[in-house]
Amino acid sequence: MGNGGTLQQAKTAEDTMLRELAWLAPIGTLAVAAIVAVALATFLPRAHQRAVATWVTVAHLTCAALAAGVWLDRGFRSTMSATVQVDGPSLALTGVVGIGGAICCILAAPAVRGTDREGEFYAVLTFASLSCVVLASAADAALIAIAIGALGLATFILTGYLRGSKRANEASIKYYIFGTVSGAIMAYGLSWWFGQAGTTSLREIGVALSSAPAGIVVASTAMVLVGLFYKAAAVPFHFWTPDAYDGAPLAVAAYLSVLPKLAGLIALARVLTLALPADLIGWSTVIAIVAAATMTLGNLAALRQDNAVRLLAYSSIAQSGYMLMAVAALDRSEQALPALIYYAIAYAATNLAVFAVVIAVQREQGSVAISAFAGLGRRHPRQATALGLGLLSLVGIPPLTGFVGKLELFTASIDADQTWLAVIAVVNTVISLFYYLRLLTPAILESSEPTVGRDDTDRSGRRHGIRAVNRAATAAASAVLVFGLAAEPLLSLVDHATMLR
Amino acid sequence: MPWLTLTIVLPFLGAALTPLLPARPGRAPLLVALGATALAGVCVIATWIRFDPADGMQLVEQATWIPSLGVAWRLGVDGMSLALVALTVVLFLVAIIHGLGPAPMSRAAAGLLLLLEASCLAYFLAEDFFLFYIAFDVTLVAMYFLIALWGGERRRYAALKFFLYTLIGSLPVLLGIIAMVLASDHGTFDMIRLADEQPIAGTGLGASLAFVAFFAGFAIKTPIVPFHTWLPAAHVEAPTSGSVLLAGVLLKLGTYGLIRVNLQMMPEAFQHFALPVALLGLVSALYGSLVALAQTDLKRLVAYTSINHMGYIVIGIAAAAATGISDRGRELAIDGAVLQMIAHGIVTSGLFLLAGMIAEKTGTRDLRRLGGLFRPLPVLGAVVSIMFFASLGLPGLAQFPAELQLFLGAFDAFPVVGALAVSGIVITAGLFLLALQRAFMGRTPERLHDLADLTRRERATLAPLLLLTVVLGIYPRLALDAIHSASWLL
Repeated sequence: MGNGGTLQQAKTAEDTMLRELAWLAPIGTLAVAAIVAVALATFLPRAHQRAVATWVTVAHLTCAALAAGVWLDRGFRSTMSATVQVDGPSLALTGVVGIGGAICCILAAPAVRGTDREGEFYAVLTFASLSCVVLASAADAALIAIAIGALGLATFILTGYLRGSKRANEASIKYYIFGTVSGAIMAYGLSWWFGQAGTTSLREIGVALSSAPAGIVVASTAMVLVGLFYKAAAVPFHFWTPDAYDGAPLAVAAYLSVLPKLAGLIALARVLTLALPADLIGWSTVIAIVAAATMTLGNLAALRQDNAVRLLAYSSIAQSGYMLMAVAALDRSEQALPALIYYAIAYAATNLAVFAVVIAVQREQGSVAISAFAGLGRRHPRQATALGLGLLSLVGIPPLTGFVGKLELFTASIDADQTWLAVIAVVNTVISLFYYLRLLTPAILESSEPTVGRDDTDRSGRRHGIRAVNRAATAAASAVLVFGLAAEPLLSLVDHATMLR
Repeated sequence: MPWLTLTIVLPFLGAALTPLLPARPGRAPLLVALGATALAGVCVIATWIRFDPADGMQLVEQATWIPSLGVAWRLGVDGMSLALVALTVVLFLVAIIHGLGPAPMSRAAAGLLLLLEASCLAYFLAEDFFLFYIAFDVTLVAMYFLIALWGGERRRYAALKFFLYTLIGSLPVLLGIIAMVLASDHGTFDMIRLADEQPIAGTGLGASLAFVAFFAGFAIKTPIVPFHTWLPAAHVEAPTSGSVLLAGVLLKLGTYGLIRVNLQMMPEAFQHFALPVALLGLVSALYGSLVALAQTDLKRLVAYTSINHMGYIVIGIAAAAATGISDRGRELAIDGAVLQMIAHGIVTSGLFLLAGMIAEKTGTRDLRRLGGLFRPLPVLGAVVSIMFFASLGLPGLAQFPAELQLFLGAFDAFPVVGALAVSGIVITAGLFLLALQRAFMGRTPERLHDLADLTRRERATLAPLLLLTVVLGIYPRLALDAIHSASWLL
C-alpha cells in the first residue's frame, strides 16, 4: 500500500477539482456562451446573426437546467476558495436568470432583429446574465465589486442600444453615471471593510466587524449599501429607473426590472447575513425603513404615470420595497429567506408576462401610452388575459403567485415583529390597485380601436417575432397562475433554499 | 361522492368552459350557466339530505394542497354554511335567469357569474383560511368586472370604489389570518383546528389588534356604518342581477365572517368588544333606515334598507358574544341572525329585481316621477306590496321570525340597544309605505298608462323568491331546523 496512499490522494484531489467544476457548471456555461457569442457576432455574416440569439437563448436555458441539476444532485457548497457560494439563493437566482434571460432574448427579437449590432446585443446580454449570477453567488468583497462593475457596464450598453434615439442616449448616460458613482462608493466602502478584516472574505469581515468601532462599521456599511440599493432600485437610489426603462429597448427594460434587481437583492441578503451577523448595528430596522420608503414612493409616483413603461418602472421600485421586507426580516425570522426567494421567482414570472404584453402592444400600436391598451381585450383576448393575470398578481390578488408571495412576505414580517411594516405594505397594496387598474381597465373595458401609429406598410416588419413574444406572454402568465394555485412544489423548494453561512 | 367539492368545482368548470363556446351570440352561455348552477343545486340538495342538524361541523372533505404552508383543501358544513350555500344557489339561479340585460347572455357574463358563484360557495364551505381568503378576494374581482362591464353610466367609478373599499377590507383580514396561523401550534390554516385551539385567546393587545383587523374587513363587507359608502354607489350602478347578488349573497360574506372567525375563534376578545360592536350595529340600523327615508331613487332606497337590516344582524351577533347573555338568548340571537341573513337575501334580492323591472318598464327609478302604477301594473304592484311588507317585517313573511328571534336574543344582552333598534323597524315601515304610496297609488301620469305587466320570464324569476318569502314566514323551521346554532356554536 506504499504508493496507494498518494495515488488515492491524487485521485481525491482530482475528484474534488472535477466536482468543483461541476458545481460551477451553470456559471461556466454562461461564461463560455458569452465568449462564443462574441466570436459568433464578430464572424457570422449579417444575414446569419440571428443564430447568436438562438445560441444565447439555448445557453441560458442550459444554465437553468444545470442549476437544477446541481441543486438536485450535489447539494450546496462553498467553492473557489470560499469566494463563490453554490447554495439555495444563488442556485435559485441562477435558475431565474437562465429562464428569465432566455425569455428576454425572445422579447428582444422583434426590436433587435436586422439591426446592425444584433449579435453583439445578445453577447452583452449574456455577459450581464453572467454578472448577475456571480453577484448573487459571491461571498467575497472583491468579487462583488467586480460583479457590480461588470453588470453596470453590460446593462449600460444594453440600455443605450438604440443609438439613434436621443432618449436612449440620455437614459444610458444617466444610468451609467449613476451606476459608476454608486459602484465607486460601494468599492470604497468595501475597502474599509478590507482594512478592518485584512481579507476580502465576507465571512471573516463579519468576524472583524463584530469587534470594530461602531462608527467605522456604520460608515463603511452605509457606503456598501449604496451600490446594492442602486442595483435593487431602492429609495433613495431609484431615480435612474424610469428614465432608463423608458429609453432602453423594452426587452432591456424587462431585463433590468427583473434580473439585475433580483441579483442585487440576493447579494444584499448575503452581504448583510455574512458581513454583519446577528443584526450588527441594527440593520434590520434600517432596511425595514428603506423598504417602507421604497414601496411607498414607488407606488405614489406610479399613480401619475400615463406611459405604461414608466408606470411599470415605478411599480418595479415598489416591488423592490416589498422584497426588502424579507431582507429586513432575515435575521429575525426563518421564513424570511424562503419568502424572498419565492417572491423573487413570482415577481420574475409576473413582470415578464406584463412586459411581454407591453412589447406586443408597442409593436402593434407603436406606443406604450396607457391609451394604446384600449380595446386590447377585443383585439387580442389572450394578451389581455396575460396582462390581467400579471397585473392582478402584482397587486397580490389570490390565487395568483403574487398573492402567495405577499402571504409569505407578510408572514415573515409579522414573524419578525415588524408588523408595522406589514401594515404599511397593506396600505401600499391598496394604493397600487389604482394604477394597475388604470392600465388594466382600458384594456378590458374599452372597445374603441385606437389608431395611434397604425401603419399597414410597416406591419410585416413590426409583426416579426411577435408570435414568439405572444407565446412567452402566455407561458409567463400560465406560470403566474400555476405558481399560485399549485404553489406546493415551488414553496417546498424554497423552503430548502438555505444560505451558506 | 365529494359533494361539497363538486358544489364548488362544477360552477368553476362551467366558468372555465365558457371561453370555449362559439363566439356568435346564442343560448349556449346561458345554458352552461344554468346547467352548472343547477348541478351545484343538486349537490346542495344531496348535502342537505346527508346533513345531521344535531351535529356541528360535519361532512368534512380534505385533500392535500400546499403542505409546506399548512394549507389543505378543507371543506365542511354546519347549519350556517348549509343555509347560506342553499341561498347562494337559489339567488344565482334567479340572477342567471334574469340575465344581465336584454341581449342574450354573453360568454363573458356567464363566465363571470359562474366564477362569482364558485367563489361564494367556496367561501361558505371553506374550512381552511387559504381557500377562505382566496374566495373572499375572487368574489371581489368577479363583482368588479360585473359592475364595470354591465353597470350604469358611472360604472367605472362605482366599480373602482367597490374594488378599493373591499380590498382595504380584505387585506386586514389577511394580516389577521397570518397572525392567527403564526400563533397556532403547528402553523396550520385549518379553520376547524383554529376554532378548537383558539391561538389568539384573551383580550391582550395582540388579540385586540387581530380582532379589530378581522372586524374591519368584515365590517366593510357587511357594510357597517361608517364603512358603508361603497354600497349605494355599487348598487345604483350595478346591473339588476349584480345588485341581487351583491345584496343577497356578497353582504353575507361579512356577517358570516363575523360569526365564523370573530365569534367562534376569538370569543373572549369579542366579549370585550361586544358593546361597541352592538352600538355600531345600532348606528347602522338607524342611520340606514333614516337615510333610506330620504331617498327618491328606488334602488338607493333598497340599498340603504340593506344597511339597516344588516345592522340588526350585527346587533344579534354582538349580543351572542356579550357577557351577560343566557345560553337560550345566545341561541336565539344567532339563529335569528342567520335566519335574517337568509330572509334578507331573499327579500332584498326580490326588491332589487322589482326595482330593476320598474325602471325597465317606466324608464325611471325616481319615485317623484312615478305614480299610480297599480292601475297599469297590477301583478307587479301586488308582488311589490308583498315584498315591501316582508322587508318591513310583517308577521307571516320571511323577515318576521328572523327579526323576532334576533331581538329576543338582543334584549337578553343589551335591552337598551334592542329597544332603540326596534325603532328602526318603525322607520322602515314608514318609508316602505311611503314609497308604495308614491309609486303605486294616486293618479297615473299620462306616459305611464300603457305598460306591459310582468312577462313570463319576469314571473319565473320572481316566483321562487316570493314562494320562499311566504314559506319562510309561515314555516321558518324549514331553515331553522338546519341552522340550529346550538349544535355548532362554541
